[in-house]
Amino acid sequence: MRKSDGSVVRRPGLLRKPDGTMVRRPGLAGLLIAGVPLLLALLGPLLAGEPGPRTASFTLGGGHWLGTDFVGRDVGRQILLGGQSVVLVALAATALAYAVAVPLGLAAALTHRTWLEELLMRPLDVLLAVPSLLLILLVAAVFSPGAAGLALLVALVNIPDAARIVRAAASEAAARPAVEALRMQGETWWRTAVGYVGRSALRTFAADAGVRLTGVLYLVATAAFLGVGVEPDAADWAVMVDRNRTGLFVQPWAVVVPALLIVALSMGGNLVVDAVLGGQGRGAGAGVSDAPDATDAPDATDASEVPLKPAAPDLPAVTDATYTPEMADASNMAVAADVLDTKEGSR
Amino acid sequence: MLRSWLARRLLLGVAQTAAVVLLVFVLTEALPGDAAVALAGDQPDPARIAAIRTEMGLDRPAAERLADWVLGLLHGDLGTSLASGRPVAAYLADGFGPTLLLAAITVTLLVPAGVGLGVLAARREGSLADRLVSSTTLAVYAVPEFALGVLLITLFALRLGWLPPTAVGSGGDLLAQPAVLVLPVLVLLSRPVCSISRLVRAGMIDALRSPYARQAARYGLSAARVRYAHALPNALAPAAQQLARTVDWLLCGVIVVEALFVIPGLGTVLMNAVAERDVPVVQGLAVVFGLVAVVLNLGADLVARRLAPRAGVAA
Repeated sequence: MRKSDGSVVRRPGLLRKPDGTMVRRPGLAGLLIAGVPLLLALLGPLLAGEPGPRTASFTLGGGHWLGTDFVGRDVGRQILLGGQSVVLVALAATALAYAVAVPLGLAAALTHRTWLEELLMRPLDVLLAVPSLLLILLVAAVFSPGAAGLALLVALVNIPDAARIVRAAASEAAARPAVEALRMQGETWWRTAVGYVGRSALRTFAADAGVRLTGVLYLVATAAFLGVGVEPDAADWAVMVDRNRTGLFVQPWAVVVPALLIVALSMGGNLVVDAVLGGQGRGAGAGVSDAPDATDAPDATDASEVPLKPAAPDLPAVTDATYTPEMADASNMAVAADVLDTKEGSR
Repeated sequence: MLRSWLARRLLLGVAQTAAVVLLVFVLTEALPGDAAVALAGDQPDPARIAAIRTEMGLDRPAAERLADWVLGLLHGDLGTSLASGRPVAAYLADGFGPTLLLAAITVTLLVPAGVGLGVLAARREGSLADRLVSSTTLAVYAVPEFALGVLLITLFALRLGWLPPTAVGSGGDLLAQPAVLVLPVLVLLSRPVCSISRLVRAGMIDALRSPYARQAARYGLSAARVRYAHALPNALAPAAQQLARTVDWLLCGVIVVEALFVIPGLGTVLMNAVAERDVPVVQGLAVVFGLVAVVLNLGADLVARRLAPRAGVAA
């Protein structure tokens, strides 16, 4: 973590001050805060044991150290079981989103055909405006997605934004002389795209994936709270908060403990991601929005290598305010013209 | 340049509107298990499903139904509920008041609170105030509203008894009991305030370090003038862009907060319709929510463009 601290999101020109100590402390605190729910989520199911007999609902004591829930199950056991689904669905959704976004973004960044890039990226711009939770609820109105369905939906919601960030980072690497050299040497698309461009932009992808994971966690937990993708009596922290709310006055533990665990998980996760990205140095940084990430992204890859043509390095990934298609088109055409020039020159 | 940007942005808005309408239709009508199956309930009797399909006109081709629905939308006809037979517009009218009130209060408080906190933190980088604001906003930023809300209810309503736990009993007239609104607005504000204040802080710090700020200081302008007249407008541009992203959060947040605090707004209407599988109501509300998002996104982009016509001044 420390190693990446210094190197991930720092521009030589904008180095602030030796605030290394400030960067690490929230990271450590975040690790401690997120560690408890994470360990519970992963190891809890192993420790849960057999279900005991059901008793009266919303009772305190009586052999249950956290009382019983709305159908008389032991709250402690439900908590041990309830973290797994949240964490696993969030991880699966993030991985899925990237599985689609990376090829899409790479293809758009590497193609010389403007129409192809437009075809790949424009529909995503259009999708960006649709509120994410709304999309999930819309599907939930027609059929009940299971946990896998929820992961798929959350991934779908995240693809447009992730693809844009991948494209922004990759188009910087794609504009380097090395790529043209690879092309002229007749290397395959695969080797150029994955072997060089993809690898150069890997750090940016990793940074964005960290930020995205906290956003996905939020969405998964919120959807579960609203009853999407989960059984109504599932052992899931978010479902526990929802279903046990009716007994809040009698038996607050069944609500407060899972709520605290979710808060700790998202809070700590965000602190860790921010510390890993060296966020404190950049100010608002990574944890807050994807926009600064994307603007940092090109610089993050390798400051020493000056790109031949700045392929829209200040292309923000999130909003359209400064993202003009001319920018992308112009840079692409410039690169294309360069390639043509060199080709003709070599003849 | 500006005009062509404006034209493109407006065109994108139109495309987004069309996409929202199309997406709502496709997702609710073309997925396996259409409204008739959903409506038939737990005992899916094929005859009953067929009857519902004919009655709803679901046996007609999808393109025809889409055309009908879009034509209706253009005339302001959102359809009728399957569950009650009331027009969807009536549902909208029911939930509109509380949601608008909630959103208006939140947005009114959001900008001053976010910008204020950001400026406060950026005044002296590394000071106690800065560290306090920075770490709190970073920590709270990613917390789901329902978890935060339930904890606040437990603390302020149950333990301390200062505020009512839900809006139950206010009879839909929220303004009559302002205390009811405190916790929902607080929860709704939590994420956007954090993100905006962090962006403002970063933008301010960047702007204050920039050559033009130093030059202004060299000219002898007062620190306050440099800070508020020169640095702040540049720092606001990224925050204004984030405001567009915040729209998404507020729409999500409203649904969660209304469910949590039992506020009879549009979010509650939507969740009830989802639970009852009342597809026309869900469609109508989704179109309205989607259009609001598209329009607000457009507005935020225009504001951001106005604040920083030449993006990247501060960065």
